[in-house]
Amino acid sequence: MKRATGFIRAAMLAAAATLAGCAQGRELPMTTLAPKSDLAVWIYRLLIEVSLWDALVFAIVMVVFILAIFVFSTRVGEAAAPWSAASDLKLEVAWTLGPALILLMISIPTVRTIFRSQPNLPPNGSLEIEVVAHQWWWEFQYPGKDHIITANELHIPTGVPIRLSLKSADIIHSFWVPQLGGKRDVVPGQINELTFEATVPGMYPGQCAEFCGESHANMRFRVFVDSPRQFAEWEKAQSAAPIAAALIKDPAAAAGAQAFSNSPCTACHRIDGVSKGTIGPDLTHFGSRATMASGIESNTPAHVAQWIINPGHVKPGAQMPAFGLGGKQLDDLVAYLESLK
Amino acid sequence: MAAQPKALPVETRNYLRGGGLIGWLTTVDHKRVALMYALSALVFMAIGGIEAMLIRIQLWSPDNHFLSASVYNQIFTMHGTTMIFLVVMPLEIGFFANFIMPLQIGARDVAFPRLNAMSFWLFLAGAIFLHLGWLWGGLPDAGWFGYANLTERYFSPGLNLDFWVVGLLILGISTIVSGLNFFVTIISMRAKGMSFMRMPMFVWSILITSVLILIAFPPLTVGLVFLLLDRFFGTHFYVAAYGATPILWQHLFWLFGHPEVYIMALPAFGMISEIVPVFSRKPLFGYPMMAYSIVLIAFLSYGVWGHHMFATGMGPVADSAFAITSMLIAIPTGIKIFSWLATIWGGSLRMTTAFYFALGFLLEFTIGGLSGIMHASAPIDLQQTDSYFVVAHFHYVLFGGVMFAILGAIYYWWPKITGRMLSEKLGKWQFWLTVVGFNGTFFPMHLLGMWGMPRRIYTYGAGLGWTHLNQLETVCAFILGISFLVMYINLIKSTASGEKAPADPWDGRSLEWSIASAPPAYNFARVPEVRGRDAYWVMKYGRAGSRGVAMFMAGQTPPVPESMQAAATGPIHMPAPSIYPLFVALGLMTMGVGLVIGEWRIIILGSITLLVSVVAMGFEYPTYGQEPHDLEELAPSSGGIDLRKAGLWAFLGSECVFFASLIATYVVYKSRNIGGPGAGILEIPLTSISTFALLMSSLAMVLALNAIQRNKKNLMRMWLGLTIGLGLVFLGIEAYEFTHFYHEGLSMQTDLFGQSFFTLVGFHGAHVTIGVLWLATVWFASFSKKFDKSRALSVEMAGLYWHFVDIVWVIIFTLVYLMQQVKGA
Repeated sequence: MKRATGFIRAAMLAAAATLAGCAQGRELPMTTLAPKSDLAVWIYRLLIEVSLWDALVFAIVMVVFILAIFVFSTRVGEAAAPWSAASDLKLEVAWTLGPALILLMISIPTVRTIFRSQPNLPPNGSLEIEVVAHQWWWEFQYPGKDHIITANELHIPTGVPIRLSLKSADIIHSFWVPQLGGKRDVVPGQINELTFEATVPGMYPGQCAEFCGESHANMRFRVFVDSPRQFAEWEKAQSAAPIAAALIKDPAAAAGAQAFSNSPCTACHRIDGVSKGTIGPDLTHFGSRATMASGIESNTPAHVAQWIINPGHVKPGAQMPAFGLGGKQLDDLVAYLESLK
Repeated sequence: MAAQPKALPVETRNYLRGGGLIGWLTTVDHKRVALMYALSALVFMAIGGIEAMLIRIQLWSPDNHFLSASVYNQIFTMHGTTMIFLVVMPLEIGFFANFIMPLQIGARDVAFPRLNAMSFWLFLAGAIFLHLGWLWGGLPDAGWFGYANLTERYFSPGLNLDFWVVGLLILGISTIVSGLNFFVTIISMRAKGMSFMRMPMFVWSILITSVLILIAFPPLTVGLVFLLLDRFFGTHFYVAAYGATPILWQHLFWLFGHPEVYIMALPAFGMISEIVPVFSRKPLFGYPMMAYSIVLIAFLSYGVWGHHMFATGMGPVADSAFAITSMLIAIPTGIKIFSWLATIWGGSLRMTTAFYFALGFLLEFTIGGLSGIMHASAPIDLQQTDSYFVVAHFHYVLFGGVMFAILGAIYYWWPKITGRMLSEKLGKWQFWLTVVGFNGTFFPMHLLGMWGMPRRIYTYGAGLGWTHLNQLETVCAFILGISFLVMYINLIKSTASGEKAPADPWDGRSLEWSIASAPPAYNFARVPEVRGRDAYWVMKYGRAGSRGVAMFMAGQTPPVPESMQAAATGPIHMPAPSIYPLFVALGLMTMGVGLVIGEWRIIILGSITLLVSVVAMGFEYPTYGQEPHDLEELAPSSGGIDLRKAGLWAFLGSECVFFASLIATYVVYKSRNIGGPGAGILEIPLTSISTFALLMSSLAMVLALNAIQRNKKNLMRMWLGLTIGLGLVFLGIEAYEFTHFYHEGLSMQTDLFGQSFFTLVGFHGAHVTIGVLWLATVWFASFSKKFDKSRALSVEMAGLYWHFVDIVWVIIFTLVYLMQQVKGA
């Protein structure tokens, strides 16, 4: 008996520790239980409310279940059954109206949150960003900000309402950053909106949440929530044109720039002032990004080289073909890309 | 042991014996058909289970490369498709409903035994078909939900999705035919005294499930037909560039998909409602409310599909409406849970394996229901949908709920079905392994979902905190796998050397326990007369249930009901075996293969097989168009409606939903049309003539029926000839119209208007063609000497179909032709 209580206590402690871990969201960077935006907080509160009602109902069912089996019944061969009614109007009315009342209690905050979280128009002073989902990567465009275009890494400031317009370049995807709020599907032929205001600076991983083919699992991205000052700096750096090829000092990077502008890369990738491709991610400030290949890998020269040698090996089904580059040409190209800060 | 009625003095040669292989291939006995369903489903269950194990191995650690992305996507697609269409539905509907329901209502077979066999062979054909892609490069890989526009040829060029589309269409036909068959069986073939409010709850659940099948499968069929046209014939039903929207697929799919959840859940509710009273030795608590709640759940299930689409951006008004309707389903479901608990409360319990699984069901299903309420709350759903939380939720519903009920039902009905008992010891082992394995696999998924793990990902990165729970789940999934191994061992051991089962091993309450285990081929030597709810219990113990319990307590054996001792009073007519159902399925499957691999000779081979089998099946039936003669043994509430007429009405009901889906698509897509000729091309004067012809043909049809009922064959032939002639005029004008449009530059591929117009009007034209062929067959048959007043039903049936097709045209003519002139309508 004592051992059993000890075990239960240990289990409860473990559960409490787990929940505390969730609340911080440090070990669980994609948890929905540590909300970091107004939208995520509203949803979280609603979840807690509904969970409490659920717990109440489950407790009632559990108690009745245990009583029915272990207390208020007999086993075959024992004394006669104590209660053999086949219906009871009062009871039946009670277990119809009781749940109905609980559902009423749940539906009111539900409907309020639905309307609150889907404003028709962008809130005043909001930062509007266009999100374009591709098989299998994310493009972020800042129309109000000198046409900054970036891939797989979204930067937003705290304290400003964010209005995302979600568009798809091919099929249905779904935009999801668990700590910043719920999903919104990205549907071809329709523009969906997501409105929220981030409250705590930090890096929040996101992922496509609608099955979109072979590399659905690899369609990840990151949201950097910056302080307004950090965001302004980032914005300034991103708005700047990249250094002209003639002015690059590093000889490898200079050779790489040459190689890039003569390569098929330009057909799909844009580098401001160098190439105009729009099929693949914009590389104008590629070197400034922390990750590559839609957030599957950190942005290091080795990873970039690996990617260029065989994109399909890193991201199965990737649309970029392997061009058979190697040797010095590859090293130069990588050096050039990494120099695009 | 429970009290046993004495062995019944009826002939005991059971349905399993005799006939050899040919006997099984040509069988139309609902019990043999059911058993073939069970065997196939148990094989597919093993395949689906192995797929689940592969999924769990792959998710063992981050960045695992056990399976490639492409193989993983195929595996999870087939796991879902297999478990839903090839395991749960065939076990519940094909196996248990097929076997048990006719016994419970005191019938000797289902309404249409050959259609029943055809359903099975079509099911097997469709099931094999789904896997054929494996020979051509891969299994289907777009998820069981197959969301457009990923499924378009451009994004999924392989043949695997073609096999998926056509396979699901074949399975859909099989299911609709079953639903129609069971609906008519329950409506028309209940034994005398078995009023609706005396039916066992399992029969209630199958009745409502059949209705759901009839109205829920047509939207899926329409969605699949659009996809088929897109993939094979260059239309653009789901292509945004043409103004269409891939969301249309989601509406059609979930209009099917959510009722589908209840098509799986309601029979489970029915099974639990049978098991709980028997092992509590109490009548089912709150029977009327239990029946009404099934009806209410089915009704509501048709209006909640949008809760699968909260993330698609339907807007706050639609979100709120679907949130509230979804929550409402919790009320009738709650009534069921509490009524089962009240049945147990105060009972005299016998803790068998079947009862264990029923008790397990109550708790596991409650957990699934409660997490369902979270999803009904749209904002919460936005965090949980497409995450592992949803995977946890629906496994609690479909495994903790439905599969627990199926396992309970296996232990409960196996003795009746095979004549052998299952080992209770192995059963208890299986139960506890299942409980540990199931909860250990799926409960942690709630947490993983809330920690942000999306579904349908073949791998995940390290550092997200998901690894440990995934490993726990994998271990528990293998425990779950072992629990099923125990079951397979139990089933095989019982079949080989199990203890012989008595007729009534559990002291049962419903009619199936009144006949031998395994039942004789004809089920009932004499059709029983029902004198109350719990029909067999009343026969055994009289109306007062308590008297029976008192006798039981005193260790006495209840008397074998007198009615059960009677031998057959005369020869029993059983339907003759037929090979054609098998060939119908073979023909359809061959056609499908030809279509998918683009080999027209194979298509023609399949079409000929199909056509010949259908015609042969028609002429095989000796009483075609005759009035039935054995209605006196049936319940007055059966209303004396002929089975065939009831079947046709049910079919037409299903057709209404089919055309409604097509019409809705037309209305939406007409307004989204970009460029192209548009609706302005339609000519009202010309189609007014064809509309008039069709309406007049209905009048001629009425006169033809009137003539044959007065035994005036020549007059009947004249009016019937006129009907056919007017039908041909209609078809001729339609053919002219279509050709004309084609020359004007409007084809299926032109624009949204073109594709939805041709699909809607074309499908109607196909119906008119079938009607003309049907009428022509009757016209030719009328030259036979046997054809007289007594066969008026054959004219009436063809007429019923013909009138329906005319009414649909009136709606199409109004909406498509007349309303296009009303601007802004």
